[in-house]
Amino acid sequence: MVTPYRVSYWSIESVWIFYVLAALAVAVFVFGVISHVSVWSRGARRQGIGFSGQGIFNLFLDGLLGRRIFSGDVAAGTMHLLILWGFLGLFAGTVLISADYWVYHFLKGPVYIGYSICLEFFGLMLAIGLVWALIRRYLQRVTRLERRIEDLIVPVWLLVVVLSGFLVEGVRLSAQRPEWGGWSFIGHVISLFWSDPRGALSIYPYVWWSHAILSLGLVAAIPFCKLFHVLAAPLSIYMEDRPDLPMPAETVTGDEEVFSSRQMIFFDACTRCGRCVEVCPSAGAGEPFSPREFIAAVREDLLLRHHPLKGLDWFSRWSDPRKAEKPDLDPQKVWHCTTCRACLEVCPVYVATPKVIERARSRVVEDGTQVPLLLSQTLEKLYKYNNPWEASKKNRAKWSQDLEISDLTKTGEEDPLCYFVGCTTALDTRAQDLARSFARILKHAGVPFGTLGKNEPCCGDIARRVGEDGLFEEQMESCLALFGRNNIRRVVTSSPHCFHTFRNEYPTFQALRPPDEKVHFDVRHYTQVIGELVSEGSIRFEKRLNIKVTYHDPCYLGRHNRVYDEPRKVIRSIPGIELVEMSHNRANSLCCGGGGGRMWQQDLDSKIKMSEIRIREAAETGAEIVITACPLCLIMLEDARKTASLEDTLRVMDLNELVVMALGLRSEGGE
Amino acid sequence: MDVIVCVKQVPEVIDADLKISREGTGIEKEDLVMHINDWDNYAVEEAVCIKETQGGTVTAITIGDDESEDVLRRALAMGADKAIRIDPGERELDGFVISKILAKVIKDLEYHLVLTGVQADDDNSGMVGIMLAETLGLSHAAVVTGVEPEGDLARIRVELEGGMDEVSRIQLPSLLTIQTGINEPRYVSIMGIRKAGKKELTVIPVANLGLSEDDLTPRTRIEEVFLPPETTGAEMIEGDAASVAAELIKIIKEKGVSI
Ligand code: SF4
Ligand code: SF4
Repeated sequence: MVTPYRVSYWSIESVWIFYVLAALAVAVFVFGVISHVSVWSRGARRQGIGFSGQGIFNLFLDGLLGRRIFSGDVAAGTMHLLILWGFLGLFAGTVLISADYWVYHFLKGPVYIGYSICLEFFGLMLAIGLVWALIRRYLQRVTRLERRIEDLIVPVWLLVVVLSGFLVEGVRLSAQRPEWGGWSFIGHVISLFWSDPRGALSIYPYVWWSHAILSLGLVAAIPFCKLFHVLAAPLSIYMEDRPDLPMPAETVTGDEEVFSSRQMIFFDACTRCGRCVEVCPSAGAGEPFSPREFIAAVREDLLLRHHPLKGLDWFSRWSDPRKAEKPDLDPQKVWHCTTCRACLEVCPVYVATPKVIERARSRVVEDGTQVPLLLSQTLEKLYKYNNPWEASKKNRAKWSQDLEISDLTKTGEEDPLCYFVGCTTALDTRAQDLARSFARILKHAGVPFGTLGKNEPCCGDIARRVGEDGLFEEQMESCLALFGRNNIRRVVTSSPHCFHTFRNEYPTFQALRPPDEKVHFDVRHYTQVIGELVSEGSIRFEKRLNIKVTYHDPCYLGRHNRVYDEPRKVIRSIPGIELVEMSHNRANSLCCGGGGGRMWQQDLDSKIKMSEIRIREAAETGAEIVITACPLCLIMLEDARKTASLEDTLRVMDLNELVVMALGLRSEGGE
Repeated sequence: MDVIVCVKQVPEVIDADLKISREGTGIEKEDLVMHINDWDNYAVEEAVCIKETQGGTVTAITIGDDESEDVLRRALAMGADKAIRIDPGERELDGFVISKILAKVIKDLEYHLVLTGVQADDDNSGMVGIMLAETLGLSHAAVVTGVEPEGDLARIRVELEGGMDEVSRIQLPSLLTIQTGINEPRYVSIMGIRKAGKKELTVIPVANLGLSEDDLTPRTRIEEVFLPPETTGAEMIEGDAASVAAELIKIIKEKGVSI
């Protein structure tokens, strides 16, 4: 018996042409990759790329196993897995056959048979995956998928490459008729079309060359189409777990990009899968914004500006008009996002749109001429009054007038629990009830606490979210100084926004300080404190409340900080209460529209307000009360309740107000 | 085109409890937030816009103590190239003295246009611009809502009474007092202000200007500042929202307003 093997370039003449084409394809590929990398290298470098075990682990789970693609869409996950593994398998096969040809001839005998079978399987997987992908996009018409020309060409091209590969194999088997041909089961079936080996032999070079050219063309095209994600996505996934290093406003110079290299890799990793568009509350409300388009516009803008060929005449003749006609990089587009994080939650490659938006905003804010009027007024107020409500200091503690709360800036207590009320809770008449209720609860539970009285500053959240980093840093400095001066090491906030800023933004900036200048403090959100008081029995609900309620997860409490259970636990511990969930809850909760500085901006064009969508969803549950745990959500939903004419059927309450009601303490809020 | 813009720092009073000072001729400014006069903010923006379209320089001038340098830094951050602060020391100022001091400094500078705000938030007198034009011997226009330089002329739009506007040409150099709403002043970021710290800021003590004692003598004197006497006729309705509303409706009905 003859040892099975395959002769490379069997019956192909002028193999050198193939080598020239291959070299060309590789050159184009490398050039394409270089142009992306040259953009990345222009990014602000605040992020080291060292070894990360977690990164490798994520790469395995999210890359090879497609964890995030599966979540929420098993069909997409399976389809992608077929394509990915098929592709990787064929790629490995190509590497092996080259090694066999150039290095050491090992693909013979049973090894060769095994190799052939595997390749058949990988080819089949890839083909099935691609057909499925086309069906999803063009027959099932999955809404989040687009149907641009590129979306058709890329999978069809790949499919043609795979199918032509099978064809080459079939024709060769038909011409050679080796006795082991049956192992290549697909090629074998195809080979049966030719009864005469000579017929097969005569067309073999044509099929071979077509397949070769199509394949090389595909390799060359990778960096220039959506396929580039096969390189950028793994990088992006690998880098995901590293925290963003802060970019102090002082260090940002005009000639540096505002985006970090890592963010630029994110942009290239985007596959336009559209999951972000599906969950984005701004897009959902019909605003002229979509995270996918935004990322694409930023990416294209960067690529055109930093392209290695940008100095050439013909390149700028081609790129200039493109630069001019990009509505999505319009500075006005950066204000839609509420930084709700819903998109990041579902993005398979971890594109952190809210962070990117904040960076893009910082550029608009530094320029100053395109800042929307209301927002620029808000920022002025923040600077002048240390709150966005234009209230002078003396009004900051008015909410507590009749409550006798100690002012920690005066009492000089050791290690007091500092209730950080926050601008909106302290100054907005509706939200003030949150503060009064929480103060009553703490008193009821016998927890000693105090506030910073009229000296309480703004934590800097708004400035941070809208990209006014210089102001944020000043506010952070003054907050830290105040905490330091008054020995404050335990803080509890009303607002998830202050909570998030203290918990996640301050530490990254403090990491840049010398150790003796750091101010250490521990921060909790009030829902956590009440949760604890309930667990340890300091708060006991005796009265039955026979009502049906639903709970709205504030974005900065839930998605940003993963506090989902405490508020629910508190609600459930009230006897008689029935908690029903809205269709969007926990990690896929829908934003009320108040975050990311949107509260202090004029309404942007939309079909319906985000808050109205949310309040209607709440009403659909049949609940009598929507409970929330954020002053901004409280105000937004309260307003929406009125515009949606739900005043008679639905109430909006803060969790504090509910607890006060259940405890039978005096409550004035929620009517 | 070189533009000079005069700015003033004034207290923000929107949410403040104003207290009359002990001498009874002013208010206590201790706890007040200080800021650029709103009209002047528009004037600076206009000056910078002119520079951006026509080229040239912008110089911002203020009279005040070192704290008032904040408004100059702000003007520099908006795009002014140079700033001058004239330190009046302990001298008392009024519109007349201010215009004399400004005129003395501006006289020696290169310029095509001098811009001021129509008036200042604090005393609302609206005198400095016009008096300054007079002292400098410049043609001037007040309450300007549009400026388009055309060679050695400028097309200007002026707000008249009764919602009418007038468009005219004015010979340069001239002085314009700028009305709010003429443009949308850009936002000035904290970093912008900090970075503007590197730009040139000159301080001139008023004594160095060689003005005569007569020029430095105020022509107006505030005798007394007081709150308008309380009058009767106001009725405070107290209680919760619902009862206040009911009471209001009752009163409106009683007074015979149809609703
Ligand atoms: S940003 Fe992420 S979720 Fe959005 S289209 Fe791109 S890959 Fe998909
Ligand atoms: S953070 Fe929220 S609002 Fe912003 S782009 Fe993502 S989904 Fe849309």
